[in-house]
Amino acid sequence: MDTLIAQLQRQFRDYTISLYHQGFLDDQFTELKKLQDECSPDFVAEVVTLFFEDCEKLISNMARALDQTGNVDFKLVGSSVHQLKGSSSSVGAKRVKGLCVTLKECCDSQNYEGCVRCLQQVDIEYKTLKAKLQDLFNLEQQIVQAGGRIPQVDI
Amino acid sequence: MTVEQNFEALDQFPVGMRVLAVDDDQTCLKILETLLRLCQYHVTTTNQAQKALELLRENKNKFDLVISDVDMPDMDGFKLLELVGLEMDLPVIMLSAHSDPKYVMKGVTHGACDYLLKPVRIEELKNIWQHVVRSRFDKNRGSNNGDKRDGSGNEGVGNSDQNNGRANNRKRKDQYNEEDDEERDDNDDSSAQKKQRVVWTVELHKKFVAAVNQLGYEKAMPKKILDLMNVEKLTRENVASHLQKFRLYLKRISGVANQQAIMANPDLHFLQMSSSHNGLDGFHHRPIPVGSGQFHGGAPAIRSFPPNGILGRLNTPSGIGVINLSSPPAGMFLQNQTDLGKLHHVSSLPLNHNDGGNIPQGLPLNLEFDQLYTNNNNNNIRNMNNNKSITGSSMAFPSFSTQQNSIIGAPNNNLVVLEGHPQSSPPGFLGHQINKRLEHWSNAVSSSTLPPPAQNSNSINHQFDVSPLPHSRPDTLEWNNVSSSYSIPFCDSATTLSPPPALDTTNPRAFCRNTDFDSNTNAQPGGFYDTLQTRQSGNYCPTTDAMLSSSNPKEGFVVGQQKLQSGGFMSAEAGSLDDIVNSTMKQEQSQGDLSGGDLGYGGFSSLRTCI
Repeated sequence: MDTLIAQLQRQFRDYTISLYHQGFLDDQFTELKKLQDECSPDFVAEVVTLFFEDCEKLISNMARALDQTGNVDFKLVGSSVHQLKGSSSSVGAKRVKGLCVTLKECCDSQNYEGCVRCLQQVDIEYKTLKAKLQDLFNLEQQIVQAGGRIPQVDI
Repeated sequence: MTVEQNFEALDQFPVGMRVLAVDDDQTCLKILETLLRLCQYHVTTTNQAQKALELLRENKNKFDLVISDVDMPDMDGFKLLELVGLEMDLPVIMLSAHSDPKYVMKGVTHGACDYLLKPVRIEELKNIWQHVVRSRFDKNRGSNNGDKRDGSGNEGVGNSDQNNGRANNRKRKDQYNEEDDEERDDNDDSSAQKKQRVVWTVELHKKFVAAVNQLGYEKAMPKKILDLMNVEKLTRENVASHLQKFRLYLKRISGVANQQAIMANPDLHFLQMSSSHNGLDGFHHRPIPVGSGQFHGGAPAIRSFPPNGILGRLNTPSGIGVINLSSPPAGMFLQNQTDLGKLHHVSSLPLNHNDGGNIPQGLPLNLEFDQLYTNNNNNNIRNMNNNKSITGSSMAFPSFSTQQNSIIGAPNNNLVVLEGHPQSSPPGFLGHQINKRLEHWSNAVSSSTLPPPAQNSNSINHQFDVSPLPHSRPDTLEWNNVSSSYSIPFCDSATTLSPPPALDTTNPRAFCRNTDFDSNTNAQPGGFYDTLQTRQSGNYCPTTDAMLSSSNPKEGFVVGQQKLQSGGFMSAEAGSLDDIVNSTMKQEQSQGDLSGGDLGYGGFSSLRTCI
C-alpha cells in the first residue's frame, strides 16, 4: 500500500525527472541540490528565489530599454542579458539560459524585433520555471510535513 | 600579516582562507558564497565593487584572495582587478559568464591569477587556494633568493592583482640564464599576442613624472597622466603600470631615505629601481633601439646575458660599471608587473642595450661613475657596452648583479642597480648615475632598436639601465642631488621629453599589470592614492616592515653606500661573482619583500612583490 509519504515521494521524483527531461533544469541545478544540507536546508529555495528576483529586475530593465523606440540602448540590454545568462546558468535554468543566448545574439545584431520577441519568451520561460519549482518545493514540504524524507533523485 | 605569519597560516591552508567575493548578481553571489563555504574558506561577500575596495582598503591583510565578477555595473571587474593588484597585491580570480578567450586574455593581462567561467563548480573553487600560496611563495622566495619574478604576472588567469608571479625558485645566478631563456622563449612564442613593451626612457619617465607632478601625486591617474604625457603609442596600461611601480618605489624609498630627497631626483632612481625590477630578464634585453625601441615589445633587451649572469658579472668587484649605459633606457618598465615572483631585472640595464644586449659580462666597471659621466658618458657608455670595456668607466653597476638578484628576490625590483647589494652603489649613487644614464639612454634608445620582448618579465622592464653605478654616492637621496635631468615628479617641472620614437606597447605584460585605469577608475582615485599614500607612510606591505626592520635591507643600502664611498663598490670586493651574488641574495632574503625604501634591492619593488 502506498503511504502518503511514498506517494508524495514518487510524485516528487517523477516531477523532478520531468523537469530535467523537458529541459527546464540541468546539471547545475543538481549541483545546487548537493549543496543543500542540514546546515542550509533551504539553500536551493533561497537561491532560486534570488534568481527569480534577478529575472524580474533584469527583464524589466531590458523591457524598458527596448521601449525607448528609436533610441534603444542595446548595450544595456546586452549587459542585462549577459547577467541573466550568468545567473540562469548558475542555477541550472536551462531554458532560460538558452533563450538568453538567443536574446544576446539579437542584441548584438541590434535586431529590435528579435530582441522584443526573445525577451517576451524569456519572460514567459522564467515564470513557467518559477511556477514549476514552486510546485516542486511544495511537494517537498508536503513530504517533510508528512514525516518523510525528500528522495534523492538521480537524473 | 607579515610574510612569516602568512606562511604560518599556510599550514592550515586552505581551511579558513579568507576570500572576498564580489558579484553584482545576487544569485551567483549566493551560490559562490555557499560553494566557498563548502570549501571551508572564510567568505565575505559584497555585490558592489566599490564596497569591495573599501573592505580591502580598510585592512589590507584582511583577505587572502579576491574573487570578482567581470561585469559589474559600478565598476568593471578588470578595473577592480587592477586596483586590487596595485594597492593590495592580492591574488584575484576573475569570474565571468564570458567564455570568450579575449576576456580571459584580458584577465590575464590585467593580472588575474585565474579566470573561472560561470557557472562555477565547486571543484574549481577547491583549488583556488593555490593562488594564495603561490603568491606568497613567490614573494617570499623572491626576496630570499632574489628570484626573478615571473613574467607571468598575469598568469594564465591574470590577476592582478594577482600579480602572482610564478616565482622561480631556482637560484638566480645559476638558473637564471636557463630560466630566462625559457621564459624568453615562452614569451617569444606568445609575443605575437603581447603588446610591445614600453621602454621607459629617461625622457619618458621625466614626462611621466612631470605629468604626475602636474596632476598632483594624489590625483594622478593613469589616464590623465597619459593625456598629459601625450606620448604616441603609450597606452594607459603602460602608464598605469609605471605609475604603480613608481608608487611602490616611492613607498620603498620613503621608508629608507628622505622621500623628498628622492623625489628630487626620482627619475633616475626610480628608473633604476624599475629597471632592476626587470630583473634578470632585463639582462636579456637586447639593446633597445631607441627609435622604436624605446618601447620594447617587452623582449629582453639583452638576451645574451641571462640576468643572473649579467648581474653576477656586474657585481663582480671588478667594478661593474655602468653597463651598457648606452642601452636604451626604454626598457625601464618592461617588466611584467604581474609576475610578482619575477624579478624584473633591470634588463634595462644599459648593458649593451644598444647593441643588443651585449652586456659586458662581468663588467668590471670600476670606473667612477662621475668620471664616466663627466667624460663623455655617452661615448663611454657606448663603448663600454659594446666592448665590455667599461673598465674605464666607473660605471660599475654592481647593482646590476645585485639588483638582479634583488630583483629576483623582489619582483618589484626595477631598480636593478639599486639593490642593497653590498657592492651595489647606493641609491643615491644610482640617482646620479641614473640621471646621467637616463639621459644617455634616451639618446641611446633612439638609436638602438628594441628587441622584441621575449618575456614578460624580461622585457624591457627597464631599459633604463638602472644599473647602479657604483657611484660614490653614499646617500640614496643623493639622487635628488644629482643633477639628473629626470624630472622629478615632485620637484622639477617636468621637462618635456620627446616621446620615444616608437613606443611599442604591444606587450602589456611588460608592465606587469596592464591596468586599465580608464577614467572610470577615477572613481576611486582618492582612495587609490590614499591607499598608496597610506602605504607609503605606513608599511606598505608587511614585508616592508620586516624589511625595514631587518637590518639587511638597510644594510644593503647602507652597505652599498658605504661601499661606494669607499669607492669600492664592487671593485672593492674582490670576491667572486658568485659571492657577490650570493651575498646580495642573502641580503635580499633577509629583507623579504622589498618594499618601501628598500633601495638595496634595487629599489623598486613591484607592487606584487610587496605583500
